[in-house]
Amino acid sequence: MPHRKIGAAIPEMIRVMLEKPTTEAYPYEKIVLPDRFRGKLDIDPEKCTGCSVCALVCPASVITMIDLGKRKVGDRELPVKRPVFELASCIFCGECVDNCAFKALEMSKQFELATPNRDSLTMRKALPK
Amino acid sequence: MILEILEAIIFPGALYTIGMGFLFDWLDRKTSARMQGRIGPMIAGPYGTLQPLADFLKLLFKEEIIPSHADKLVFLFAPALFFMAPILSMLFIPIIGPTSIAGFQFDILAILFLLGFSAFVVSILSFSSASSFTTVATGRLVLQYVSYEIPLVLSIIAAALCSRSLSVEGVVGAQTRIWNVFFAPIAFCVFIVAMMAELEKAPFDIPSAKTEIVGGWLTEFSGRALAFLKLTKEVSYVFGCALAVSLFLGGPLGPILNFGVPVSILYFIYFTVKILGVGFVIFVLKTSLTRIKIGQATQLFWKILTPLSLCQILLILILIQGGLIVAT
Amino acid sequence: MSTDVDKRREESAGLMEYSAENLVPFGPIHPSLKEPEYFKIILEGERIVDVIPRIGYVHRGLEKAAEMRPWVQNMYMFERTCGICSFVHSLCYGQAVEGLTIFQVPKRAEYIRLIICEMERIHSHLLWVGLMGHWAGFDTLFMWVWQDREVVLDLVEAISGNRVHKSMNAFCGVRRDMPEGMEKHIVERMKFMTDRARYYREIIDTEETMLERTQKVGAHVTQDTVEKLCAVGPMARYVGLRQDVRLNNPYAAYGEVPFEIVTRNEGDVQALLRLRLDEIIASANMISYAVENLPDGPIKVKIPPVIPAGEHSSRCEAPRGEIFYYVKSTGGRTPDRVKSRQPTLANLPLALEILKGQTLADVPVVLTAIDPCFGCMDRMSFLDTEKNKQWTWSGEQLRQYGINYYFPDRKDKA
Repeated sequence: MPHRKIGAAIPEMIRVMLEKPTTEAYPYEKIVLPDRFRGKLDIDPEKCTGCSVCALVCPASVITMIDLGKRKVGDRELPVKRPVFELASCIFCGECVDNCAFKALEMSKQFELATPNRDSLTMRKALPK
Repeated sequence: MILEILEAIIFPGALYTIGMGFLFDWLDRKTSARMQGRIGPMIAGPYGTLQPLADFLKLLFKEEIIPSHADKLVFLFAPALFFMAPILSMLFIPIIGPTSIAGFQFDILAILFLLGFSAFVVSILSFSSASSFTTVATGRLVLQYVSYEIPLVLSIIAAALCSRSLSVEGVVGAQTRIWNVFFAPIAFCVFIVAMMAELEKAPFDIPSAKTEIVGGWLTEFSGRALAFLKLTKEVSYVFGCALAVSLFLGGPLGPILNFGVPVSILYFIYFTVKILGVGFVIFVLKTSLTRIKIGQATQLFWKILTPLSLCQILLILILIQGGLIVAT
Repeated sequence: MSTDVDKRREESAGLMEYSAENLVPFGPIHPSLKEPEYFKIILEGERIVDVIPRIGYVHRGLEKAAEMRPWVQNMYMFERTCGICSFVHSLCYGQAVEGLTIFQVPKRAEYIRLIICEMERIHSHLLWVGLMGHWAGFDTLFMWVWQDREVVLDLVEAISGNRVHKSMNAFCGVRRDMPEGMEKHIVERMKFMTDRARYYREIIDTEETMLERTQKVGAHVTQDTVEKLCAVGPMARYVGLRQDVRLNNPYAAYGEVPFEIVTRNEGDVQALLRLRLDEIIASANMISYAVENLPDGPIKVKIPPVIPAGEHSSRCEAPRGEIFYYVKSTGGRTPDRVKSRQPTLANLPLALEILKGQTLADVPVVLTAIDPCFGCMDRMSFLDTEKNKQWTWSGEQLRQYGINYYFPDRKDKA
């Protein structure tokens, strides 16, 4: 039967008081993030071909494909589409990144996404200028 | 006359006490934060020293909501009565010398009356805000008061017996050679524990238990009333430590060193160091203990602390008969 | 039509009357509840006479929403049922769906699933120990334990990319492999976690004030009461029943990784504290073993997006108890019916039974001791405030009410 005493935590309290506190001074110091951190979505417009697989697999319906015209491939006419992302609804699961066959999407390490303006979270990078 | 009024209001009277209350609050938050591995307030003022003042001012600007079933007269005026009690009691404690601002021959009785008066005011405060949480809190408050009052009074009487005087100045004056704590160590410990119950510090913060009854007797207060209630709690903290120091640790007295500074500044430094020491002991105890239940607190006071303080009084009477404690 | 519904109302079980003497309302918003639920506590002085619950404040309709989404999207939705046991929810749903297909899960994926499950268990138990300290008034324990919880969260972030919603599960496999060269780091951190759990065990065993709050609270509960009220998880193991899905019905890699079940006999709140801290040590050992003996191979098997028809169920051991998922498919893109039963729903009657006869100060301690997660467990309940009645409906009654409401003139109410 262990011995009951008052203030059993006091030795550890004195030890913790003399050490450096574990609080990270977040806004004044940068945080070190691991490699696999899933932050804001980013697209490389050069690699995107408009295959629409990302829009089909997204669970949160973030991606809308915009029709930009047609192109001729052999003797067929195929539509040209590019994605527009509503990043305010993104759940950061990474399904689009895993399913893109051309490796055009990646999740960056940016996590400070608060903004007073909802339009700034719509990513139109893949559309031509 | 004008000098005395100024002394009573500014230093070492009301404003000094309020300033020390803020300092104690800041120290409390910083030391318990460091002992828990985090940093305390850091932003308001250098190292967060102005944080308690900022909290007080913020509360003054907030809207005051009065519950519809509450007794409006008591609700609005009782906080002022509650605030007055420890400020008035601080005037009896000698701080910058062996005499205090308003001391008279039987002022320990006045202090005991004011301690009981503030507990009574809190009970009617908590009863006047009629909600289910405050009803439970009133029951706990009265039960806790009945439990800690007797050991508190008995330990004060033990110190007064040691010094053969019923005024705080007399008790301080009788400790020029040896402090009372060496004659009455048990009374000192009982006094500290009973003081923690009066100040509602853990493990005795039962009447205002935040996680069980949502703030206890403080639940329905907001705005100015809450600002003054919180300030009063901090000022009572200073007063409790000051009383412990005056009755048991020799007050502002200490070895006189010839540095060329006036003696009153030396006395003031000794006094401040001593109350910070007692305050630090209470911070450490408060951070390391859990809140206990009201039934267990009552058992602790009635079954353990009251007999201990009675034994202490008996011991002191024996020592007086044996001639070890002489009246100076 | 209305008399039909009224008759059904009278027939259904659970008419509860409530009186208004000495009532302390605990909730819906209360400093000691993480999620809103309403408990009416009827007191006599400080003794509790009865506790009447009223649930339904965070009901989100997840089971209905699952019927409108494709199979893979449901995996992400069920992951968000609860923040603390999110991986186990998606695992249980995944296993229920995998049982309908013909594919097998590769060995490496099963080991990785076990590692993440156990890390989640450590995280949840550490969070719970800290919360017990906080509601009892011991803020120092709360701060220390939550600082140690950051160790496990950093490990989870390094493996999966997020601290809470790990998104690691896929049908018949996991989505990401373990990172290279992390084995030594994980084993060393698990040793640190074991030492800290032992230190906290020592504190709760010796600190006088903590013992007064937790020892002998609710010790009148016996094995019979627990079995009759069908409690699951740690709430069954703390009276000595050897009930653990990992032991009785092993899933993932639990059949191969050595596993010691932890039970206690005392039946009070302190036994729960000791049990969960011992489970942290057992989980740390399991993770170290699994990380060192990870088999090679693929981590995922590609399956077609249409699941064949049938029905299947699966059980898993979440940190709070047993989770049960039932999935029914008719061969389409979306499931036909998903039912999920969370452990807090099974443990709540036991908590109310423990509280009878205790004092008001024990309410936050006991309600936290069952490790509640009201967000997961919520169900709908019906109230008639004029007549002071409360009751529940079965699924068939609910469906009939909907038909009667939308089609009052239909002749065949089927």
